[in-house]
Amino acid sequence: MKPILFAVLLGAASLVAQPPKPSNPLGDAPAVAESGRLLYNRSCTSCHGPDGGEGARGPALDFAGRRYFRVSEAAIFDVIKNGIPGTAMPASGLADNDAWRVVAFIRNIRATASDLVVPGEEQNGMAVFTGVGGCSRCHMIRGQGGVLGPDLSSIGAQASLNRLRDALTKERSIPNGYRPVTVTTLKGEIFTGVARNSDAFSLQLLEESSKLRLFDLSEVRSAVFSKQSLMPHGYDKSLSKTQFQDLLAMLSRQTRTKVKATLQGENEVGR
Amino acid sequence: MTVCGIFRAMTLRGIFTAACLTAALTAQVTDRQLHEANSANWLTYNGSYDSRRHSALKQVNVSTVDSLVAKWVFHVPNATALQTVPIVADGVMYVTQPNEVYAVDARTGRQIWEYHRVPARQKGPNRGVAIWRDKVYFTTPDAFLVALNAASGNVVWEAKLAEASDGYWSPAAPMIVNGKVIAGSAPGDHGLNGFLDAYDATTGERLWRFNPIPKPGEPGSETWAGESWKAGGGNTWLTGSYDPDLNLLYWGIGNPAPDFNGDVRKGDNLYTESVVALDPDTGRLKWYFQFTPHDLMDWDAVEIPVLVDATYEGKPRKLMAHADRNGFYYLLDRATGKFLHGSPFVKQLNWASGLTAAGRPILVPGVEPTLMGTKVCPAAIGAANWMSPAFSPDTGLFYVVAQEGCGIANKSTETFRPGGFQYRATGDVEVRDDTWKVYVRALDLTTGKLMWEQERIGSTGFGGGLLSTAGGLLFSGELNGEFVALEAKNGKALWHFYTGQRITASPITYAVNGRQFVAIAAGSDIMSFGLLK
Ligand code: HEC
Ligand code: HEC
Repeated sequence: MKPILFAVLLGAASLVAQPPKPSNPLGDAPAVAESGRLLYNRSCTSCHGPDGGEGARGPALDFAGRRYFRVSEAAIFDVIKNGIPGTAMPASGLADNDAWRVVAFIRNIRATASDLVVPGEEQNGMAVFTGVGGCSRCHMIRGQGGVLGPDLSSIGAQASLNRLRDALTKERSIPNGYRPVTVTTLKGEIFTGVARNSDAFSLQLLEESSKLRLFDLSEVRSAVFSKQSLMPHGYDKSLSKTQFQDLLAMLSRQTRTKVKATLQGENEVGR
Repeated sequence: MTVCGIFRAMTLRGIFTAACLTAALTAQVTDRQLHEANSANWLTYNGSYDSRRHSALKQVNVSTVDSLVAKWVFHVPNATALQTVPIVADGVMYVTQPNEVYAVDARTGRQIWEYHRVPARQKGPNRGVAIWRDKVYFTTPDAFLVALNAASGNVVWEAKLAEASDGYWSPAAPMIVNGKVIAGSAPGDHGLNGFLDAYDATTGERLWRFNPIPKPGEPGSETWAGESWKAGGGNTWLTGSYDPDLNLLYWGIGNPAPDFNGDVRKGDNLYTESVVALDPDTGRLKWYFQFTPHDLMDWDAVEIPVLVDATYEGKPRKLMAHADRNGFYYLLDRATGKFLHGSPFVKQLNWASGLTAAGRPILVPGVEPTLMGTKVCPAAIGAANWMSPAFSPDTGLFYVVAQEGCGIANKSTETFRPGGFQYRATGDVEVRDDTWKVYVRALDLTTGKLMWEQERIGSTGFGGGLLSTAGGLLFSGELNGEFVALEAKNGKALWHFYTGQRITASPITYAVNGRQFVAIAAGSDIMSFGLLK
């Protein structure tokens, strides 16, 4: 296991450098994280939001794409035990074991979907993806499917479970490169798709048919952008509960590129 | 289909019809397009299967080149010395650096997509993609061949070429022949035996493998003493050429290992330092020609084989021209491999006094790496290297970037260690005195006679390769950062643009909606040029 090796290496290095970094003695099993969640919701939500979201007086602790200052188990443990001097973040007074439970919870909500055990049938999920869900019209998994939306072959290793759920159920802001656009040329031809890129002089449009249309805007009468993503977002309603869960499970296991993006700040010691 | 005939528009001298409003990628680069030598696209590493790097585009020509101006710059993040040759298909340009591919709008330089390989093994350079139908193909520092969807950059399939942990990787742009992706290996300097592979371009399934180092019992194995074939080298780190009529694939093979000490590998060491002609359907060897038997100077014979049909000794012949790293310019019959002509294209050449009637070098005794060091010319870096040559059917001249210079070459008794370690048994120290110079040289195709030369003043090394156009121009990227247009018939410098970065890549040309562009990678940027109006 990596943590053990790490400790051994640090042990050797400690002759010259920092003391060894402790890691969670309780481990990171779902049950430990769940007990941590209960403790957290009891002790921390006066400032942070419930389940690790943003609160009135404290920042979000979950996987929200923000840069965490404290990422390692040891650094989070340190914050819970000692607080952050000079800020509103207090020392919690939790016993060591309870503090470690909360550490497991915070690490868990920052995990990517593939780090978690998401219940559901992967094969059925794939059938939903290519069948009733209609996902493969716009998304590719392992070389099969459309190109309008992002390739989902590694989505389990890139996105948190919450992000996956939100993508399927909520209207979100449209990421760069996926803004829907309708272009009308001076000649009156009309093209629709997503704008992979654009500026005041040119626009690079990708059609659902996989055709790229590259416009010099001097040849274009109008380029009308839509504020609504092409990604449909009512799948919790349009799919059955099982279909939805199977789909989530399948997506969580898409890890073609197995290396998970390291969180910014990973391996850094706290401030 | 709203795609306009870009090539047709060009032959109408750039008349831009109303039907040609948009540049559209049909997502279909066909076999036929790959077979057409000249078009507004630049579809293969050297522009066409015959690797002439000669374009029929002539909007930019001897009289208009004055008003050639920079149109856009695409910065490749974290790049240093790009060697990528851009591929352009219907207005979309594909460029690479190790582990990364970018698709950009060839008219504006604006990015369409990018692909990053994760994890990214640090090894370079990468020289570009190949394109076929709706996919682009490239090879990686961890020795994979990756197929990407050309419109989105999504990975369609990956095929493992070899074990990266053994030390293998691949820098060359692959080549597509009849629905097969041809891809090779590096490096030969680690004692790793090379290969040339063909993969099904649709599925990624491996169809054949050619082993440049024959195994015991196979023809050629008698040219390797003892067990030396096991760590024999012979890699395929550049792109080759193809003759559709003869249905022959030509590929240059790299150096034998260890590079500088041949004592452990007595014999000619086939098929290192050779060009091999293969049947692209089976990978079977049809003929070979070895430029440097039993090479001791790391003179990889991977330099591009240029295919030209011309009259030779009164008869029309299918020729192959090749300027080798060893300092000789060769002319072969590419149907049979027969040696026709060879002559030095550098003045500083002391290791051979000439070539025999069969093309074998006549060695000068003692001019080889020694324990104490011996002066050998050309230096190990060679008289030519990977920077592409060009041939113009209009001038009949073969253009090559030629390095004049010598090295003090040493050998040692280093032994092979598995695991990707260097296995060179030493090298040479370049003699960087005032004879160390780089030139663009124009050789008469059939006689190899020097017709003109232009010194790359201020360059201390090769720099980039060459591009010839029907506009009577020869484009040349210099290591010192100058991008230059020479008059193809006499070498006169007609235009130059200082890119501010070292150029180590070969230029290309293409057209979008009837307007010609000339592009090159310079340092960390891709730059594209066109006429002011
Ligand atoms: C009194 C309000 C308050 C309470 C109660 C509180 N926090 Fe905080 N917490 C904060 C504030 C404010 C910050 C941001 C401090 C800063 O500016 O760096 C913070 C920061 C943190 C951080 C560091 C975030 C990062 O990016 O590195 C962690 C971890 C954390 N809190 C965990 C907890 C836990 C677990 C509890 C319950 C045991 C808790 N907090 C209770 C206010 C609070
Ligand atoms: C009509 C095209 C279309 C269909 C159908 C579609 N998507 Fe999407 N999807 C998109 C686009 C475009 C985006 C990117 C823009 C965005 O996130 O709003 C996207 C984004 C996503 C994301 C977010 C990826 C990330 O990195 O956050 C997920 C996950 C996803 N889609 C899954 C699905 C699944 C599962 C289905 C089928 C149930 C589906 N999509 C159906 C077009 C589509």
